[in-house]
Amino acid sequence: MPAIKLDKVVKNYKVGKVEVPALRGISFSIEKGEFTAIAGPSGSGKSTLLNLFGCLDKPTSGSVFVQDSNILRLSSDELADVRNRHIGFIFQSFNLIPVLTAFENVEFPLILLKEHSAAQRKDRVMAMLKSVGIDELAGRKPAEMSGGQQQRVAIARALVKNPDYVLADEPTANLDTKTGHEILDLMQKINEAISTTFIFSTHDPKVMEMARRLIKIRDGQIEDDSRQ
Amino acid sequence: MIIKLAYRNLFRNFRRTALTLSAIAFGIMMLIIFDSLLSGVDTDSYKKIIDLETGHVRIFARGYRDDMDEYPLDRSIKEPQAVIAVLAKDPDIEGVAPRVSFRIMLSDGMGELPAVGYGVDPAKDPSVFTLKNSIDGSFLAGSEEAMLLGDGLMDDFGLKEGDYLTLLTRTKYDTYQALDLKIKGVIRTENPKFDWSSAVIPLGLAQRALDMGAEVTEIDIRLRDPGKLEEVRARLEKQFPHLEISTWLDYIEDVKAIGAAKRQGRLFLFSSLFLIALIGIANTILLSAFERIKEIGMMAALGMKRRQIMALFVTEGAMIGFLGSFIGAMLASAAILLYLAPVGVDFSGLNFKELGDFGYRMTNKMYGEWDPPMVALTFFMGIIISAVTSIYPAWVASRMQPTEALRKN
Repeated sequence: MPAIKLDKVVKNYKVGKVEVPALRGISFSIEKGEFTAIAGPSGSGKSTLLNLFGCLDKPTSGSVFVQDSNILRLSSDELADVRNRHIGFIFQSFNLIPVLTAFENVEFPLILLKEHSAAQRKDRVMAMLKSVGIDELAGRKPAEMSGGQQQRVAIARALVKNPDYVLADEPTANLDTKTGHEILDLMQKINEAISTTFIFSTHDPKVMEMARRLIKIRDGQIEDDSRQ
Repeated sequence: MIIKLAYRNLFRNFRRTALTLSAIAFGIMMLIIFDSLLSGVDTDSYKKIIDLETGHVRIFARGYRDDMDEYPLDRSIKEPQAVIAVLAKDPDIEGVAPRVSFRIMLSDGMGELPAVGYGVDPAKDPSVFTLKNSIDGSFLAGSEEAMLLGDGLMDDFGLKEGDYLTLLTRTKYDTYQALDLKIKGVIRTENPKFDWSSAVIPLGLAQRALDMGAEVTEIDIRLRDPGKLEEVRARLEKQFPHLEISTWLDYIEDVKAIGAAKRQGRLFLFSSLFLIALIGIANTILLSAFERIKEIGMMAALGMKRRQIMALFVTEGAMIGFLGSFIGAMLASAAILLYLAPVGVDFSGLNFKELGDFGYRMTNKMYGEWDPPMVALTFFMGIIISAVTSIYPAWVASRMQPTEALRKN
């Protein structure tokens, strides 16, 4: 069973009275355990694609299957549940909650999940912070950490609930080259160690080189889909 | 988690939160203080009515009360001494004071003013009323030819203690009577009914001048335990079936009428508070939501449901309400307990006399009264109103599209 399957997906946005096509009948699937980059110029449809993968938006036509569920048929609360249980998010600008510590930020999705005791959450969060190398910063708030450290917290937050796949929207765009590579290395290691599916969008050719599958899109259509 | 997040979010924009908190605290404080002063005036008015006008229980001849505004001297108590002798044996009664009330005209030879005359027994009256303690000068003695005059009338005539004034009236048999009396003391009771329109003379003098013999228009009673009011009334009704027994509660209709207006005033104040909360909190929560649009999107992306996002913002509003109400209630309580109750507010500059008799027995000062149930009610209303006014901006926040978060990256 693929992690995600798109079937003839069309997505149009309304700008005033004009319908602007963002995706024009895309079909493909991403298997579990893949480390996939989605590349393309601005306005090519990358973000629209990630929004659909993340159950944050619904297609105009066609189907998006996440864990075999067609997201078109899910209610707002059911979509929130799918996001909470199955999907991890890593954002370009980290998007940590500024009033919470690193520990609390990572704990946040587990609290929403309501499946773990406080002690279980603590063990899991500390193990996850350790695996991304920032367990010593558990008590710090985002403003007290560097960009690289914040992105590690964001990765820990995305992974702490053992999601089926992680969506990363230009995860290195706000980091210097060295830190960006460290973050990608980390994501790659996690992918190899626990087979978490990673899907990330990028502009950066060096980042594209690290992906094992590269999907290039342009004008809302797949230009190239290659495995390396 | 929602409570922890809401609490920490309050301090993200401390200045804005502090401003909203201050508005709520000020509203709550003013509401409690306003109510405290009105309650204080109520209590003060009731005390003055009992202490100066009615005592706890009043006895009249049957039919007197039907026209008591006309002061009908022909409907008087014929044998007051017999009644007083029975009352003196009642263990629940602390004091008994016979009085004659009558309509008068005061004249200084240049002008005339209408007023009410009271004939009081200088020996017995202080066992029921506190009039004796509110006199500048000397109280009356025996049946001397002297009067006490309200300070408002003293001002109107431009008189001073020791001056003479003519008291014009009609006897029980409707013949004219005039008394030229020395003003022995000035009445300063802080009860406008007395201070602005009364002249007090000895009971014996009044009975003589009004051709009443030993009759009086009323017998007023002070009880040892005011809680036995109805018990004593019922007993006296049996003992004196030919007389009419009433209690002080039958004479507070005018104060009660203000009480009704007060309830409307309170409603108005609660509405004002609601408006303050609506503008302040709704604005704060809405601004906060727009500032945190990416954060809301991110939280939605992490799986937070719309109702949880809404709950977060409503909790923030309720917390602002809680803190504002708490600060307001504390400040108001401190102001009442430390200043308004013991010292009072002086309104002498407002000249209530110009406003005329509006029911409350107050002249220059208002005292606050600390009413814990009212403070608690206002405190909880502050929280509830704040939470309710947060619902709309919270709803707006919860309807924001989570795609905003990703799109803005």
